[in-house]
Amino acid sequence: MSRKETVGTDRRTFLAITGTGALTTVGLAGCIGTEDDGNGGNGGNGGNGGNGGNGGNGNGETPDTVVVGQPGSLTGTWDFLQPAASDATDLAVQQINDAGGPLDAEFEVNRQDTTVDPQQAREVLRQFIDSDGVAAINGLYSSEIEPLWEFIQEQEVPIITPWPGSTYLDTRGGDKGTDETDDDEWLWRTVIGDTVHTAGAAEAMIDEAGVERMAILSATSAGEEGWTRQFTSWYEELGGEIVEVISASEGQSSYQSQLNELFSNDFDAWALSFALEDAITILRNWEDGGYGGQLLMEDGLRDDSLIDEVGEQADGAWIAAGSTEGPNYDQFLSSYEEVSDEGLHPWAVAAYDATNIIALAIHHAGETSHEAIQRSIGAVSRPDGTTVTTFAEGKDALDNGDEINYEGAVTDCDFTEHGNVWGDVVVERVTPDGFETEFTISGDELQDEIDEY
Amino acid sequence: MEIPLAQEIIFGLVIGSYIALGAIGFTLVYGLVNMINFAHGEFITVGAFVGYLAVVFGGLSIPMAVAVALAITAVVGWVIARVTFEPMNEAGAVPLLLMSIGLGLVLRNGFRVIAGADRRTIPRDVTTYRFDDWGFFVTSQQLFIIGVTLVAVVVLHVFLSRTMLGIAMRATSDNEDLALVSGIDTRRIRNAVWIAASGLAGVAGVMLAVSQSANPNVGFGQLLLIITAAILGGAGSPYGAIVGSYLLGIGITVSVAFLPSGLTELNATMAFVVLIVVLLVRPGGLVNAEVRTS
Repeated sequence: MSRKETVGTDRRTFLAITGTGALTTVGLAGCIGTEDDGNGGNGGNGGNGGNGGNGGNGNGETPDTVVVGQPGSLTGTWDFLQPAASDATDLAVQQINDAGGPLDAEFEVNRQDTTVDPQQAREVLRQFIDSDGVAAINGLYSSEIEPLWEFIQEQEVPIITPWPGSTYLDTRGGDKGTDETDDDEWLWRTVIGDTVHTAGAAEAMIDEAGVERMAILSATSAGEEGWTRQFTSWYEELGGEIVEVISASEGQSSYQSQLNELFSNDFDAWALSFALEDAITILRNWEDGGYGGQLLMEDGLRDDSLIDEVGEQADGAWIAAGSTEGPNYDQFLSSYEEVSDEGLHPWAVAAYDATNIIALAIHHAGETSHEAIQRSIGAVSRPDGTTVTTFAEGKDALDNGDEINYEGAVTDCDFTEHGNVWGDVVVERVTPDGFETEFTISGDELQDEIDEY
Repeated sequence: MEIPLAQEIIFGLVIGSYIALGAIGFTLVYGLVNMINFAHGEFITVGAFVGYLAVVFGGLSIPMAVAVALAITAVVGWVIARVTFEPMNEAGAVPLLLMSIGLGLVLRNGFRVIAGADRRTIPRDVTTYRFDDWGFFVTSQQLFIIGVTLVAVVVLHVFLSRTMLGIAMRATSDNEDLALVSGIDTRRIRNAVWIAASGLAGVAGVMLAVSQSANPNVGFGQLLLIITAAILGGAGSPYGAIVGSYLLGIGITVSVAFLPSGLTELNATMAFVVLIVVLLVRPGGLVNAEVRTS
């Protein structure tokens, strides 16, 4: 085992423990009411050129180390997605450092647990910015971003996140396509939004599968309700009928009565919008009740954990998600399989892209000031310039004075003015052994139907 | 299509059984040790992981895993109580409450560090029995959880009413000082309470691991319903906890059928509405003090 691998493993273990400690501390703080209003930390952002803690600056000096913060779900409802995302990020970090790093500096990712809790996410961001002096942020979920939107804007720190599908971001984020940062909204995402993949899922149901009547069992969390709302909107716009939507709160020991209520209706297929923990219970209840029917699951469940836990119960179900396979997917996959046993999902691949774009933007900026990095994100990823698929290629091209266009592993990363990306939507069939592609709806096709994104 | 009420009641009995196994232990501790144990959910989690290990790595059947989880969780709970709660026995309710909150956090995150974030499901072999004439079905797993809970309830009743230790428990619950001067070894009673409460939590854990998965939050996720059922029945009363659990379970499931489709997520809320009404009308809970101590 190489030194780097050893260090990486130790760091992950350390972060898991410290993250847990942070959770305990914040949890206890919450219990005894010591949290302040959370708006007091903005002063630390003063002078975005000052990542002094890491040697970075806005004055053209070369830092020794460039640190990027990664708020993650090491615990919490979505923690089952984190291991693959962490491994994909670490792979990118390794490749970036093997290529000499941005600004010839050591590139590091500092990963902290937010448990997908907005208050804890705010504390983690504050620590990254005020204490750790990070050059940029790589992470944040929808349910953290929406309540923290104003806080995020006040920080003026570039954030590229692989997680959020939220329609809230359809018209927020990015750089509006101008060179100035006055109109920038500092947040970009490398995963396709719910608007795109629910449109793709609805189109696949209507046009490919011929399903005209559907029912939905949905959780009440913001992400799941958003998926349900968007899917319903597209499905009905395309001529389908949603005959029933049953909502249920998370964490119940049984969803049998909700399933019974749902299946008292007549429909061709039903959709499930829940996180994994509850989806396991629901799929077991579904099998126990022998309800049958074609099932379509939301994108968040497209993970090997689903196969491991309830692959047999869900055999034959469909799952709609953004395709993992972008322009640089094959190259990424072979490298990923060398370093990780974790099952891949779209967010892990998007984490790899987010990490590479941040590193390239730093190198393009020539400094670690937040403003310079923000200005460079669109510049290294949008069309025009030499096409590159790795940090090494991009760094060489930039050092040669060329402009570059990073083509990602999950999408081509051609950001819209709102910091969004387009990509294909794939509907896969669940089998006890894994996922098999059933229908693919191209991103180009969906662009014609979506007005603003 | 109208959902048969019998079906909803069966679903409610199942949910009520999950709650009851936790609530009986919770309320025993409240009644005898005079503390609200917020770490009780973590005792359930211990049972879930023990059950998982017993089935997947030990090759045991689920009924055998229940027995193993009962025994191991009882010992674990007793040891934890001896180390943490017992030395603070004279400190009063609030320090004990804070200790239980802290202990719960430590245990929950300890599970996370040791076991990781992965969910672990117990393989199961479920048979579904259909009674189409009456419009309902019930699975072998549902019958098992209801049956195990009924056995627990009967054993508890016999224990409390027919054994010296059980009678001493009730006496201590009524008046610890009086019990002490009457020659009852109250420390022995508290030990027995911790063992019984933790053991029942272990059984609940295996049941939850079978229906959901063994994960660090599986017990904590049930805690609110457990506390609610205990208060609904009359805090400190094991019989009240049983009544409260089944009322809560049936209320949760039956309300799904009556709520408009856009408001079905309020089914759990409806159960809490019942709790509020009961507390307003009958502050001591459904099973009053006279019944509890008779």
